[in-house]
Amino acid sequence: MFPYSEASWSVVDGAMFIGWGTSLPGITTVLAMIACVVVLVIGQRSESAKAKTFDK
Amino acid sequence: MEDQIAELVAKVAALEAAGSGAGAKVTNTMFAETYYYLTIPLMIIIHAGFLAYEMGASRLKNVLSSGVKNILAFAFMIPTFYFFGWWVYFGFPTGIPGAAGPMGISGVEYANSIAWGWGESAQYMGPNIADNISGVFFGAFALFACTTASIMSGAVIERIQTVGFIILAVVLGSFAWVVAAAWGWHADGWMVTKWGVHDFGAAGLVHAVAGFFALGVLINLGPRIGKFNADGSANHIPGHNMPLTVVGLMLIIVGFWGFLMACVVPPGEAWSWFPDKFATIYGTPITLGSLSFNILMGVAGGIIGTWLFTRDPFWMMSGALAGIISTASGLDIYFPAHAFLIAMSAGLILKPCADWLERRGIDDAVGAVTVHGTIGLYGVVMLGIWGAGYPSLAIDNAPTVSLMGQIGGAVVFFLLGFVPGYVVSYILKMFGMLRIREGAELAGMDLVKVPAAGYPEWGTDAPVTPAE
Repeated sequence: MFPYSEASWSVVDGAMFIGWGTSLPGITTVLAMIACVVVLVIGQRSESAKAKTFDK
Repeated sequence: MEDQIAELVAKVAALEAAGSGAGAKVTNTMFAETYYYLTIPLMIIIHAGFLAYEMGASRLKNVLSSGVKNILAFAFMIPTFYFFGWWVYFGFPTGIPGAAGPMGISGVEYANSIAWGWGESAQYMGPNIADNISGVFFGAFALFACTTASIMSGAVIERIQTVGFIILAVVLGSFAWVVAAAWGWHADGWMVTKWGVHDFGAAGLVHAVAGFFALGVLINLGPRIGKFNADGSANHIPGHNMPLTVVGLMLIIVGFWGFLMACVVPPGEAWSWFPDKFATIYGTPITLGSLSFNILMGVAGGIIGTWLFTRDPFWMMSGALAGIISTASGLDIYFPAHAFLIAMSAGLILKPCADWLERRGIDDAVGAVTVHGTIGLYGVVMLGIWGAGYPSLAIDNAPTVSLMGQIGGAVVFFLLGFVPGYVVSYILKMFGMLRIREGAELAGMDLVKVPAAGYPEWGTDAPVTPAE
């Protein structure tokens, strides 16, 4: 996954993160977005259910 | 001897070259990178402060849920600002549809090239040995976003649902204030280039936007149970720990040194305004000495002004914040004694403004609408009165600061806060996602939201308030 053709730091002159030049950054960005939304959905459901137990 | 002299001359020449050439360039790049990097932990102190002050302002039964809400706002703000907030800032300074501005650092096309986490632009959104600035600049702006969202957080404690709150925080912190910043805090911002708006320390585009966003939310959220009596009179609902609240406010003051430091652009880089001078985000000259003079005098003026009418440490420390906010627009150009007087006047009007709002049935638990909203706009307009005629950009024939321009800016900042706050909270209310159910509110939100106790050895015999 080293983003340069030669596995040497001496050739690194720009982006150096894992997946640079591939679709990995885009995929992880979209997955991170989805994860945030899913957490909110789960959080809303569990908090609503718990709050209902306090209804008189 | 001649050989030794020649060797010495060569060494001196080498040292001079290192001092004025590539060596100095690297040193300056590291300085600029470190400069912004250090503003980030300083701004995180603001969040330590918000955490302490909101938990202290909550009753015992809500103390941890208030803290959880605050922590989550911070956590969701960072990725959402990364996902799209940074893009909005660079995409729309000239307004909609996002045309490029004359400085060449705005417009949708430019934003597409530097601010998305995919494709070619991803190189500026991750580790890059050739790019020392994007990450730290993003970090500083992400912390501005967190701060903006946290301003709203305190106003709504003790009755808001967690997820509804997070959605509101994201709309405010990663969108609403970002639009205000693009329009009024960017060299290509249309409010700057057309109206000459000057808001160096974000009195309007952060504080007023956040304060009036909170007002829009509070109208739909409603007051805490027991806050108002049948005749409309208000009960005071004291938090469980005033010392914690006051220390939290002082921490916010500490963090604001980082916030305002991050509003300054260091010199000497390709993206800098000057080779040898600090600049504001508008490219106008500034020194850190200006900030030192005026922040300190602003804090002092705000405290003294508030003490006169309240004698209350909560309001005195809120007055310190109001002192900074009321002078923030012109911290770069006020004379210190002038800043002191403006801050003191803000301190004087602070509590009466908060009382006025409360008499209209708004339960703002920590006075956020007044401290940040009202005083934020006050600060923007004050600069229109005192700073009229100052060039708002460092270019020839620049528009100048004017009272009408600042009033226009204040109106836009108000709308950019209030409208999305009201509309989004109204939609959340329609879907039952805004306010916690009555039974849960009465029982205490810690029982509903948090599997832990703030003070487990205290038991259940904590003092009650009129609201209980």
